[in-house]
Amino acid sequence: MTYEIEIAGRIRRVSVRREGGGFAVAVDGRSFHVDAARTDPHSLSLIVDDGPVPGTSLDVAVAAGASNGRLTVQVGALPIPVTMNGRRGWRSGHAAATAAGPQRIATPMPGKIVRMLVKVGDVVAPRQPVVVVEAMKMENELRAARGGTVAEVHGREGASVDAGALLVVIQ
Amino acid sequence: MQKILIANRGEIAVRVIRACRDMALSPVAVFSECDRAAMHVRLADRAFAIGPSAPRESYLNIDRIIDAARKSGADAVHPGYGFLAENAEFARAVARAGLVFIGPSPQAIDAMGSKTAAREAASRAGVAVVPGTPRPLDASASGAEIAAAANAIGYPILVKAVAGGGGKGMRTVVDPADLASAVVSARSEAQSAFGDAAVYLERRLTRPRHIEVQLLADGHGTVVPFVERECSVQRRHQKVLEETPSVAISPAVRAKLTSAAAAVAKAVGYTNAGTIEFLLDEGGEFFFLEMNTRLQVEHPITEMVTGVDLVRWQIRVARGERIDLDPAAMIAPNGHAIECRIYAEDPDNNFLPSPGRIEFLRAPAGPGIRDDSAAAAGLDVPIFYDPLISKLVAWAEDRPQAIARMRRALGEYRIGGVRTTVPFFVWLLGEQAFVDGRTHTAYLDEVLRDRNGRPFLEPSADVEEVAAMAAALQAMLGSTAERKPAAAPDASRWRTDARLEGLRQV
Repeated sequence: MTYEIEIAGRIRRVSVRREGGGFAVAVDGRSFHVDAARTDPHSLSLIVDDGPVPGTSLDVAVAAGASNGRLTVQVGALPIPVTMNGRRGWRSGHAAATAAGPQRIATPMPGKIVRMLVKVGDVVAPRQPVVVVEAMKMENELRAARGGTVAEVHGREGASVDAGALLVVIQ
Repeated sequence: MQKILIANRGEIAVRVIRACRDMALSPVAVFSECDRAAMHVRLADRAFAIGPSAPRESYLNIDRIIDAARKSGADAVHPGYGFLAENAEFARAVARAGLVFIGPSPQAIDAMGSKTAAREAASRAGVAVVPGTPRPLDASASGAEIAAAANAIGYPILVKAVAGGGGKGMRTVVDPADLASAVVSARSEAQSAFGDAAVYLERRLTRPRHIEVQLLADGHGTVVPFVERECSVQRRHQKVLEETPSVAISPAVRAKLTSAAAAVAKAVGYTNAGTIEFLLDEGGEFFFLEMNTRLQVEHPITEMVTGVDLVRWQIRVARGERIDLDPAAMIAPNGHAIECRIYAEDPDNNFLPSPGRIEFLRAPAGPGIRDDSAAAAGLDVPIFYDPLISKLVAWAEDRPQAIARMRRALGEYRIGGVRTTVPFFVWLLGEQAFVDGRTHTAYLDEVLRDRNGRPFLEPSADVEEVAAMAAALQAMLGSTAERKPAAAPDASRWRTDARLEGLRQV
């Protein structure tokens, strides 16, 4: 089985086949032997033999992403966003929208629009705040992930919004 | 006192339930719609629905909580913190219903609820306050009068809401030309946040530390202050990490600080648990800031270095008991403790709340670790409340070991389905300024501004390789795929052994 897996904007080709009670795994051509034990529906204990370095024990967990349908793989304390594009990849419908196309900025929680910081036609830089929503006792800045031009603005300052409400679209 | 209703939710409700169990008292929970399956409901003896999820309609609804208390047959109410904990009207309603309020008197809540009244009480007790206006600014005060008051205090100035908290209704003014507009905007924010537009002026100290003193006071005139906590690591005026003792407080200063705290509490006839907050300036002078008339989120670190169960004492004091703790021991900490507030927030996306279902959870444990939490796999972090998942506490013989244990515990934490502030804390505990104890209340905001959104932990190429491997294996195996079977118990062998055992006995 071969998968295309995107991490931090880079696609890695990962092939997996069963081998001697474990798996032969190749990541971009680098080969490992992996003994995988499932510890719960989200978690795997891996013992990885990497050529001369045998027996690396890793405790990993895989969960659906919190916001946009990607996966989050947790390695140690580090959550790593991952997008599956493989033949049996999960949620491949969502995966395509993550790196290209318009950015749709929606509020993850219900709240009130405190300040709308952009208007249609504005050019925004990566990480620029575009709208401030008050929720859970705090004012939260929603930011553009990438630069672009504001194509749509929804909602007025002072308006209440539901979770998932689309506020700004950036082309 | 037999049965205690806990007018709260989440980890603090669970914390109070545990104290009840330790004392063989029966805990009663209340819950909103979205909290039906919450941990505090499951751990309580009895549980009562008090309305829809919006706080105003449930956890802030005094009538429904009193009604639940009556139905349950509770004889006392513990408010936890947040929600109604510092609401004098609630304390009065509890008393009117013939129940014991486990907290201070309504008069004490009122007296310390106004920041200007609290400053006055501290001054009366002979404790220095941050220089500022003794009373709220007159609503009709002219621009010239306000400017004169500010000049008398000296810039930079803070405009602060009298009813304030959490940085709301607060403005910093460096340039006198900005004073008038700052007063206007602080007033309007205070009005909408607290229903009270009153503001006053206070000098902004340069790089102060936030130092606070926990105390317990009984109804017989005993006030016992505890070793200080330092809570200088704050993001936008919200504490994120607390520790005790402070690296900046010598035993001599501790003696002065704790007696000052006790003097303020005595001046207002305070009873039960409370905390006096101070600012410590760069010159080592401390100034009264405010009093919190409730249990604090960070109370566990005090418990760890003194061995005192503060919630148990809250209940004992409310029953009329005398405090018989040794005051000298309470300001002589055993070791060092640190608390990290683990929130369901995405630290790499400007700390935006990350509500949702917790898909899996494994909490850290082991020597010196305490995890005060109400989270579990399958539970939601609701969108309606403060998204605190856990108060993770590490104790050790000294500060470097406590930091090492906290790092170990953070590395063990596994929480899936929501983003958490765990990676942020791993980063923070590796920062040299924190390790050296060089923090002040603006420290974190300054560092975060300079980082400009850079991720706190960046995976190495190796870790990315592991992530790719894990995602591929999970996809191939599927989440319900076979687990390596444990060696099947050999039933026939057991029978044989049992038979042999039987034969031996014959």
